[in-house]
Amino acid sequence: MIAQQVLNGLVLGGVYALFALGFTLIFGIHRIMNMAHGAVFMAGAFIGLFTVRAGLPIWAALPVAMIGAGLVSILIEVVAFKPLRKLALADAELASIISSIGAGLIVLSLGQYVSKTETLRFPFGTVSAEAIQLLGLRVTMLQLLMLGVALLLVVGLAFYLYRTPQGRQVRAVAGNYRTAQLLGVNPNAIFYQTFFVSGAMAGAAGVMVGLAFNAVQFLMGEPFLLKAFVAIILGGMGSIPGALVGAMVLGLFQTLSAAYLPALLVDAMIFLLLFIILMVRPDGLFVQAVTESPTKRV
Amino acid sequence: MVEILIMLELLAPHLPLLDLICIGTGYALSQAIVFRAGTFSVATSGFAALGAYCAAILVVKQGFHPALAVAMGTLLGLLAGLLLAAPLARLRGVYQAIASLAFVEILVAFILYFEHLTGGPLGFHGIPRLVKPWMLVVIMLLTMGMLYVLGQGAIGRAFEAMRQDPPVAASLGVNPTKYHVISFALSGAIAGLFGGLDALRNFSLTAEQFGFSILIATLSAVVLGGRRTVVGPLVGVTILVLLPEIFRPLAHYRQAVYGLLLVVVMAFLPFGVYDTLRLRMRDRRLAREAAAQGGARP
Repeated sequence: MIAQQVLNGLVLGGVYALFALGFTLIFGIHRIMNMAHGAVFMAGAFIGLFTVRAGLPIWAALPVAMIGAGLVSILIEVVAFKPLRKLALADAELASIISSIGAGLIVLSLGQYVSKTETLRFPFGTVSAEAIQLLGLRVTMLQLLMLGVALLLVVGLAFYLYRTPQGRQVRAVAGNYRTAQLLGVNPNAIFYQTFFVSGAMAGAAGVMVGLAFNAVQFLMGEPFLLKAFVAIILGGMGSIPGALVGAMVLGLFQTLSAAYLPALLVDAMIFLLLFIILMVRPDGLFVQAVTESPTKRV
Repeated sequence: MVEILIMLELLAPHLPLLDLICIGTGYALSQAIVFRAGTFSVATSGFAALGAYCAAILVVKQGFHPALAVAMGTLLGLLAGLLLAAPLARLRGVYQAIASLAFVEILVAFILYFEHLTGGPLGFHGIPRLVKPWMLVVIMLLTMGMLYVLGQGAIGRAFEAMRQDPPVAASLGVNPTKYHVISFALSGAIAGLFGGLDALRNFSLTAEQFGFSILIATLSAVVLGGRRTVVGPLVGVTILVLLPEIFRPLAHYRQAVYGLLLVVVMAFLPFGVYDTLRLRMRDRRLAREAAAQGGARP
């Protein structure tokens, strides 16, 4: 029983990881809190759903949804963040949060318009409903798919960041924006790349969540974003391995508290956990000695 | 005289809008005051929820006098502000925003859970409408007046210094903890007060009413109008309430209009409509005075 819950928790954690990694990537590199990330996630789910409805199989719809969500994410970058780069850093922090909330609202109402405020469902049999027995656990095909996609994308992200020339440029910009520019890195290209990667991962997460609950609706991103903050903060904002571990902890925490607590208290527990983490370890579990402490940053 | 009567007659159907503007301005003022003190907390809707449910429960279940009930709601908001001030003082910037967001979500989850007290997910109904529009206008103006007077004095100067440069403020003898606590107490009390008024105006309360969407509406109003003056929030709320009413076809796309406004205002008027105008006018006056002085000199 508990082993089954742990498995379910890890699957959910994998999806949270896709979402949280995209968010934390943008924060780690550009110091931008992208509040429109939930809307990108929703857009990914919509694009995936309509691709499946158009008759494509899920393995083709997933990349389409990822590319679509990546493009939406780039669009948000251009519209909401690019004009703010002229502001002083202290002002830009607030301005980019507000501006991205605005951009998120626009995407949200597009979603509402497209879906006519209804909850949309994937056609029956998009993913085979079969389940296999593995070491005494019941694993559905969907769970296998979710775990597989999450694993693939996380490894892909790590490869991109740490093993490619583009990834080296991205890390250079994260380290010092001005120096990277002097060394010939085109900052705009880096912005587009990172926002695309971040959006594509959110889009994949959107399709997975849409499949898992078989419900796609325009408000699905907002609660997901709020909960993903637990994963992001737990791992330390901007930390890639941190977000991964944080997402797994969040997935386990959510499934286990859903199994053993009244349903209405699950959210309270998650946000209580978030509040406590912020009080005890605002830098997360994976603070590096060299990074500036966020609590001291003004 | 007749003209005035006709005008009142014409305005009567729009009185609910006046209610919305007054309540919204109250919330926006509560939000603006923590911004002014350099804190990025978005706890206002949480304080408002406490005030609203406190007033509603006391009036409906305990038979309190409405004024006393609203006063108790204000007090509860103030207490919550005091309690929240200490943990949030340990954090900076986006971390404060996330922690206060968690606070709001915890409250909303608890309101949903304690069904016998709050009505839970079904909402709290059957609240008598005891607050008249003129009372709202008077209380709103009094609050604005009080904040204006406070802003002109030592508190206003201390807030200004803390927002611009906390270390310099501390070196000049501004006790950051003290003024941080004052700003939260004020924010909590004002939100509690208007929450209580909102409850006794609206016949019913639901937990979602105080969730993420009101938080966004309040934030938008403050940012749109201007967050450094007392009039700014009123201007912001009025624009947000009236715009969909004036352009009726836009009412369906209220969210999209909000979003667009936020993005555009952040890009072009980063200090808000009212504050930017005021800054421009001051610059022009100073330039004129400088020109006049320059002309007078031989």
